[in-house]
Amino acid sequence: MTRISAKYLAQRLIISYLTILVIMTLLFVLLHSMPGSFIQTMQSPDMTGEQIERLKEQWGLNEPLWKQYVDFMVNYQTGEFGWSPHWNVPVWNLIERRLPRTVILFGATTITGFMIGPLVGMYLGWWRGTKRDRSIFTGGLIAYSLPSFWIAWLFIWLFSFELDLLPAKYMRTQFPQEVYGTGFEWTAMMAMRDVLWHLALPLLSLTAIGWVGSMLIMRTVMQNVTEQDYVFLARAKGLSERKVMIKHAARNALIPVATGAIVGIAFILDGAVVIENVFNYPGMGNLILDSVLNNDHPTTQAVFFMLAVLLVICRIIQDIAYTYLDPRIKFGEEES
Amino acid sequence: MPLLEFEDLSIRYRTDGPDVKASEDVNFEVDYGKTFGLVGESGCGKTTLGKSILQLLDDNGYVESGHIWYDDVLPEWKTDTGKVRPEVVEDDRYPVRDDGMMDLTALDSDDIRRVRWNNISLIPQSSMNALNPVYRVGDQIVEAIRVHEPETPEDEAHERARDLLEQVGIERERADDYAHQFSGGMKQRAIIAMAMACNPDMVIADEPTTALDVIIQDRVLDAIREMQDQFDVSMLIISHDISVMAETCDRLGVMYGGRLMESGTTKEVIENPANPYTMGLQNSFPTVEESQERLLAIPGTPPTLTEPADECRFAERCPFATNVCMNDHPPMYDAEAASDGRSRVQQEADVGHRSACYRLDVLEEMRERAKEEETWQQTETPSSS
Ligand SMILES: Nc1ncnc2c1ncn2[C@@H]1O[C@H](COP(=O)(O)OP(=O)(O)O)[C@@H](O)[C@H]1O
Ligand code: SF4
Ligand SMILES: [Mg+2]
Repeated sequence: MTRISAKYLAQRLIISYLTILVIMTLLFVLLHSMPGSFIQTMQSPDMTGEQIERLKEQWGLNEPLWKQYVDFMVNYQTGEFGWSPHWNVPVWNLIERRLPRTVILFGATTITGFMIGPLVGMYLGWWRGTKRDRSIFTGGLIAYSLPSFWIAWLFIWLFSFELDLLPAKYMRTQFPQEVYGTGFEWTAMMAMRDVLWHLALPLLSLTAIGWVGSMLIMRTVMQNVTEQDYVFLARAKGLSERKVMIKHAARNALIPVATGAIVGIAFILDGAVVIENVFNYPGMGNLILDSVLNNDHPTTQAVFFMLAVLLVICRIIQDIAYTYLDPRIKFGEEES
Repeated sequence: MPLLEFEDLSIRYRTDGPDVKASEDVNFEVDYGKTFGLVGESGCGKTTLGKSILQLLDDNGYVESGHIWYDDVLPEWKTDTGKVRPEVVEDDRYPVRDDGMMDLTALDSDDIRRVRWNNISLIPQSSMNALNPVYRVGDQIVEAIRVHEPETPEDEAHERARDLLEQVGIERERADDYAHQFSGGMKQRAIIAMAMACNPDMVIADEPTTALDVIIQDRVLDAIREMQDQFDVSMLIISHDISVMAETCDRLGVMYGGRLMESGTTKEVIENPANPYTMGLQNSFPTVEESQERLLAIPGTPPTLTEPADECRFAERCPFATNVCMNDHPPMYDAEAASDGRSRVQQEADVGHRSACYRLDVLEEMRERAKEEETWQQTETPSSS
């Protein structure tokens, strides 16, 4: 299956790169259109004018605007995100540690959400108008409209306080020596199990809202697809209802689900930022809140940028996925 | 010998209001190796009848009464020699009658699924969109073969699929194409090929040429005829176009408002129509034999089928309607006997030439007047004519 040509891929990559450049420019504009200078948040009342001047010099704010823009663009593309005034380390060091954690939580939820959502949507669309359809659909809508932190609290209350099944905080057991005895050492297996165990509740909370988006699309498309002539023909051929539903109806309904997936993915990423803070999960979402509260502009900016890049990457994956699903798309020949 | 026999079939669609009476007491037969054509304007219940054979009605449709008898039974109801087992015929729990015919409307969903495509295949009305866009055309034919003959190896099924495509004039390699790479006529012919995949006894083709241009229509009809010769299948062709039917069918049934108005051999129905509706329908299509000057449409539109009035279904639009037409819908009368002066010999079974009309006593006069343009222009009320 060489369905995807190098040309198509190159095209997608160039478009993605341009998107990232636009995002960077927007970030730059945003930063410079904020009232005052972010230096103000670092200065104390007893600083002399000379000291403030030095601070400005240090942060490059005395350069002409175009030079600042060019520097910014070049630096960002080389992973040079500057210095965090709050943590007093290079911003990249923070990102480097936090990003994989967010990718784990967000990636895992995206996978579970996009497994559960289309599956449930398939059945609901197939059973359209029945009681089962209406009750699950309504339940999904309620979950979708509840604030994500609220669902997280609900789960913490249920699974952590009431049932005492799952931990409600952090990514690892803190102070394991206190829990497991003084001579305790982590082995790789145990560390992994510990992380998964801590991941369970955030994952569950995030999935609870993350599955609904793809379910809604799948359900609607399934309803349309069920009316299609090829579904009638599949039935006339003597296929079982199950085969008609999965092989003929759902397979086609997946195409629009894949085309619109990025909206659901962004929704999950958005939820992940909130959920991380509810669970004190030390990822990018947690970092965003800390850096905003501490007026750490370089870090805030870099986190926003990395989350945007994450979405752009997801977008590329989505494009590849739906071109595989729909044979009517001509690869690399024209963009529709 | 009938392969398929409709007996007093009445079909309803549930709606929010009263049920739609999409078919009412329909009787006709499709003989072995023959082509039966169902003709009539859009909305008169042809597709409904076609779908009902395989229990493929829309979710809100149901058979209210009547039977569809099919001259075969499920494999496990037969003896080793292929005869129907006596206890199956005698036991009332099996939907099989004395002459060994099986009622398709009485099969459960698993059993009818085995009849679909294996015994009877159906080419749906808009078969242009009936190929699944995400699977290769050949694979879709293979799928049909493998459902009903799971013991057939994959590569053998693929060979058969390619053979079938070749027979309808599509190159073998095109089996690897997707539907969007096919033209409209090719898609239609691919479905015809698919219909033959399991060597069925019968093929139902719903509007096989509608929405195709004339040249492509001919090629599709050729494909149908060739398949029919080769596989010796019976066919039920459904069309609103009586001139297409004249070329293709052995017998014709003319439907109006859920009722069968006339049936007979194609020659009888086309050359000596015995029902005013058939005459009107003929005027509205170019015939093969005589080149008509102008096409005359029947004024008015087909009736909605909820709560029909107690009168001939066609009375509202019929130029020959009189008071006798107003009490009840006419039963089927023997048109042959009518030409001998006996205009009220009832004939419910599908033999000879039949017509549902109270005025067969003036049949000759109706035929003459039906050819005149003025006849179809008058909009007088029936009682004053
Ligand atoms: N699912 C349905 N629900 C209600 N009415 C229907 C449904 N399908 C068809 N009908 C009605 O039944 C009648 C016969 O339809 P159909 O069998 O499609 O006619 P034809 O094939 O001759 O055009 C029409 O009046 C149509 O509106
Ligand atoms: S019974 Fe009357 S209304 Fe009906 S077709 Fe005959 S003449 Fe016309
Ligand atoms: Mg129809």
